[in-house]
Order: sequence, then C-alpha cells, then structure tokens
Amino acid sequence: MNLSHFADFCEQAVKDGVLFYYTGEFSQNVIGAMTDTLKQRLDAVGVSGPARRKLFSTFVEMSQNIMHYADAAPSGGAKVGALAVGKTGDSKYWIVSGNPVRVEHVERIKGKVEPLRTMTIDEIKAAYREQLRNDDHEQDAVSRGAGLGFLTVAREASEPLQYQIVYRSEQQEYAEFYLRAAI
Amino acid sequence: MENLYIAATNETPEIDFCFDKHKLHVSGESYPENAMAFYAPIRASLQDYLASAQPAGEVEAHFALKYFNSSSTKLIRSMIALMHDSAQGGKRIVTHWYHDPEDDMMSEFGNDLKDEFRMLDIRVVAMAAA
Repeated sequence: MNLSHFADFCEQAVKDGVLFYYTGEFSQNVIGAMTDTLKQRLDAVGVSGPARRKLFSTFVEMSQNIMHYADAAPSGGAKVGALAVGKTGDSKYWIVSGNPVRVEHVERIKGKVEPLRTMTIDEIKAAYREQLRNDDHEQDAVSRGAGLGFLTVAREASEPLQYQIVYRSEQQEYAEFYLRAAI
Repeated sequence: MENLYIAATNETPEIDFCFDKHKLHVSGESYPENAMAFYAPIRASLQDYLASAQPAGEVEAHFALKYFNSSSTKLIRSMIALMHDSAQGGKRIVTHWYHDPEDDMMSEFGNDLKDEFRMLDIRVVAMAAA
C-alpha cells in the first residue's frame, strides 16, 4: 500500500468513525489480545455501561464465529477475516466483520441470518430461549455454538442485523460474508 | 471427594468447588475456544458430588459471571439443570446468580433460569463489582 493510499485509508476511517480495525488470522490467542486492546480502546474513548458490555459481547461472538466457521482461506491454512468497531454519533456504535465462506455454505448462512432481520426483539428472545433449551442441536453437524451465536448478536443489537454476500469474479469456490451489528 | 479448583484465565472463569464445605463458586468471564472441553470435566465433577453423600445442611452455589459467550451458555445452564435435578431429588440447594446492576442481559438470564428451574431456589442478586 503506498503512502497516499494509506493516508486516504486513515482519512476514510476517521470519517466512518472507526475505533478499531483488524484483518488477519482469528485464533484464540489473537482474540484474547484483541479483547484486551478493545477494552483499553473503549476506556480511552469513554464507552461505559450497557454499550460497552454489548460491544464486548458482540465482538467476542463475531470474532469466534470467524475462528470457528470461516472457511479456510483459498490459499489454505488459518482462519482469516476482518473486523472493525466504530462509532456513528452520540453513543451509537457498530461492529462489522467479514470472512470467506465456501459458496456451498452461503445458503445455510443466509438461512440463519435472514429470519432474524424481521423478528421483533421479543421474538428473538423467545427464539434464543428455545435454542438454549433445545437438545436436538447435536444433529447440526456444522454448528458448534448451540446455534446461539447469531441469536446472541441479534439480541444485543439495536437494529436488525445487516449482512452482505460478495462474490469476486476471480474466486469460484469462495464468497465473502459480511455482517454488521448496530449497538 | 476432592475439592475442585481451577484458577481463572483471561477467557475462562474461576471454578472453586469446596465440596467439603458444600459451597460452589463460579466467577469471572467465560469465552474459551472450546467450551465443551472446559466445562465437561467440571460438570462431571459436579455430577459426582451431587450424586454422593448427603450434606448435613444445604449446598450453596454462587455464580458471579461478568460475561459468557454463546458456546458457554448452554453448558452453564446445564450445571444449573444438574442442581435442579438434585433439588427435585430432595437436596437443599440455594443458588445465587449475581449480576452488575446495569447488566440487563445477565439479570434476565438469571430470571429465565429461575423461571425454567422451578424446583431450584435461585436468587438473582444485583451486586456492583468490587
């Protein structure tokens, strides 16, 4: 990246209220380091109380989602992705994440996130309770977090979750899954 | 049976099961990479304890968790379920579920547990962090 691109990148980040940005491998060690950094960042910016707690919770869920479920990068090896945290005005925050997914998994992910977008908060809480008490989860061979991951994020968000699937022409096997939660 | 103590780490809670005094404590944050690997032995230990000799008085359980991730949630609930089964079987168990006064999620979770596990004496307690 040349310097003028980096200067543009920094300027855009400031305009968009970015507080934290990371791209790379998502392992438990990395997530541990990031949660420490995020806590300090939130202290420095003066985010406290419920917003802080929700940001932290969403941050952990999204990072661990990437760690567990991102399909390995086209070049193989570690689970990679990107994540950013930012602010849009008075006490309103957002977290976005992006990670590769195999094209054959796209429908499954859409199937999990799309219904949450039209549910009321009470419906989300009810779905959460049901998922929590559901012992048949063991039949879902792919999901490890009891199906609660997206429900947890949706429950804490102040608006319906937003997501986007991006296909790149040069990449046949993988698409990119982007998720945004507003706090 | 031997007491169970696991020191807290950044991402796992302190487990302090004083079986000899019949006081069980779980406190801190929980977001391990593999929740099942962390909680399975703890759950097994709790199960053994609850199945063993009757304590003379009551068993006290204290949960003071500041945060737990989605994969820890089911496993924490399953420990409460174990205690509930035990209470249904006649054991006297009192469970304290602590939460920060501003933490709606944690207080709601405690109240949901109370709603679900009716035979277990669960007390949801607002407590400011030390």
